[in-house]
Amino acid sequence: MKNDLITLDNVSRFYGEVLGVNRVTLSLPPGITSMVGPNGAGKTTLMNLMTGLLRPTRGRIRILGIAPTQSHKLFGLVGYATQFDAFPKGLSGFQFIYSFLRLFGYSNAKCKQLADQVIEQVGLSDAAGRRVAGYSKGMRQRIRLAQALAHDPRVLILDEPLNGLDPLVRAETIKLFRRYATEGRHVLVSSHVLHEVDMISDQVVLMSGGYVVAEGQIQGVRSEIQERPVKILIHCKQPSVLASRAFEHEYVVEAQFLTEGSGVLITTRDADRFYRLLNHLAVNGIDIEGVTPADDNVNSVYDYLIGSEEKMSL
Amino acid sequence: MIKLWFGQIVSVVRLELKKTFFSKRGLWVYLLAFAPVVLFGFNSIHGTHERQRLARQAARHPISQAAFNDIKNGLSPDQVIEKLGKPYRQYSRYYHRGGKKHRIVFYRYTDGKIDFTYQFEDDKLIRTHRRNPNALTQTQLVFATSFQFYFLRLAVFFGCVGVFVNLFRGEMLDKSLHFYLLTPMRREVLLAGKYFAGLLATIVIFTSSTALQWWAMLWQFERGVIVDFLASPGWSQFAAYLSVTALACVGYGSIFLAVGLLFRNPIIPTAVVLLWESANPFLPPLMKKISMIYYLQSICPVTASQDNLPPLLGLLISPTQPATTLTAVTRIVLLTLFVLVLASFIARKLEINYSTD
Repeated sequence: MKNDLITLDNVSRFYGEVLGVNRVTLSLPPGITSMVGPNGAGKTTLMNLMTGLLRPTRGRIRILGIAPTQSHKLFGLVGYATQFDAFPKGLSGFQFIYSFLRLFGYSNAKCKQLADQVIEQVGLSDAAGRRVAGYSKGMRQRIRLAQALAHDPRVLILDEPLNGLDPLVRAETIKLFRRYATEGRHVLVSSHVLHEVDMISDQVVLMSGGYVVAEGQIQGVRSEIQERPVKILIHCKQPSVLASRAFEHEYVVEAQFLTEGSGVLITTRDADRFYRLLNHLAVNGIDIEGVTPADDNVNSVYDYLIGSEEKMSL
Repeated sequence: MIKLWFGQIVSVVRLELKKTFFSKRGLWVYLLAFAPVVLFGFNSIHGTHERQRLARQAARHPISQAAFNDIKNGLSPDQVIEKLGKPYRQYSRYYHRGGKKHRIVFYRYTDGKIDFTYQFEDDKLIRTHRRNPNALTQTQLVFATSFQFYFLRLAVFFGCVGVFVNLFRGEMLDKSLHFYLLTPMRREVLLAGKYFAGLLATIVIFTSSTALQWWAMLWQFERGVIVDFLASPGWSQFAAYLSVTALACVGYGSIFLAVGLLFRNPIIPTAVVLLWESANPFLPPLMKKISMIYYLQSICPVTASQDNLPPLLGLLISPTQPATTLTAVTRIVLLTLFVLVLASFIARKLEINYSTD
């Protein structure tokens, strides 16, 4: 059971005086895990540490029980699509994947079969014979994804995999991630496209300035932030009455009326107590048509946890 | 496991060979390697013309062998002219000695094969220079000198710098090294694959150059002269030169592979190795033996001429017995293995940090 986890124990990495990541402790179960954070947050450093491209200054990493230094064992299980947008010179898409697979020790026929298969999977069959150097950004992204997927790994580590993909391919790719996750594999994704992360993640790791600022299931992360005001959208027939009753309580901090008068967006510091208040109001004659958490997603958590730090630093 | 490693090495070699042979970054390696072929080619063309010129000269002004044999030191220019006729070329030089101006006069004659230059000072014949453009001895010496002082010390040396340093450093600059590190391949296996790719490329390039130089050197001579020479000791010399070239690639290759792994800027370590190798003739015998060039020169079939060195520099040369072939080969191979083992430790700790490279 323990070998199903990706574990990082007090991992730090410094580039001389510069902090890469600091005291990161994580234990990631199978499923889709998103690493979210602004540039320089340490996402890529953490992924490079997990795959042995970098060595931790301190701490211990295990991927399904294997140390990243044991590359000969690790990369049978792990596929990593990096963010480095460079390829071995002079190779076509097919040759790139084929040559990469040859290094795994597969036979010539097996390499051809796997390469064809994965190239089709990422929708590059028509361009397989063309040189990678002539590919568009999206195509290069897809061939990198193909390289990570080619040997059917149990752990997929993908640095900004959705960058540059058109909506159709993006949807296909997300579907692929979901399929991998349902098969009990790890899919570790870093992204700036927060609403996509929100949609696909089983768990999230929020990073800022080299630190993990929150981690866990998206709801769990949300509940970690008790003090953070929450926005709740209420569709009702009497928004002004609801707002005035809500403002009688100190935990309601803001109310914005929807332009068409169909509801109100309430900001509260205590979601639980506000939900109880709504029940009370509904029982006492206010016609509430619907209640939607307006910011219960990674984006809002991210804005709150990281955006505020950025604003402060500005 | 061995089969897997072997397969991985072969795959790395395949990937690297194309890059190594056809890299734009490495074009200068070809220039360096094949420059002496061009020089020996020109020398052969010149030698052929020279022989034809001497034959024409002899036809225009035939001189008997007996007349040449009759020329002895102490004869005056007029006496020489009396025996041989007018020289086909005459020129003079001046020099100062003891506050006095001296004139040296040169007369040139030929019997159609040998070019005789008679040197007169104070109206007396003091020296006779014989130059036979059809004799291989002089050319062999030129080849040995060019091979040991240019080809080994500069062409193969810098060629190995260009090829082996780029095996890791070049991919760091291209930001494509990580693809190798994302495969289930031991770093030592990757290192071996890259080394063999570099070795194959340099051996092909530089032994081809040695063979072509050899051909260019011999091309000017008549068929009979070439056949006689090859029968003994030509072929064994040829094989020895090819082996020395390959061994130089083996040794220098390992050193510069390690340099490419260890240093971001290979210029300084390369300069240090070059300085050490160049200073080899002047080092004490014990230190001489801690170098590649000492062992390579030891197994060269012809000792290179150091006659043209300035006298002061000549005095600084410390004479040392060359190593036996067995010792030389063993020590080069051992040094190579030692450096490769060291390099594999560095490779194990190799990190991908393109932003700082």
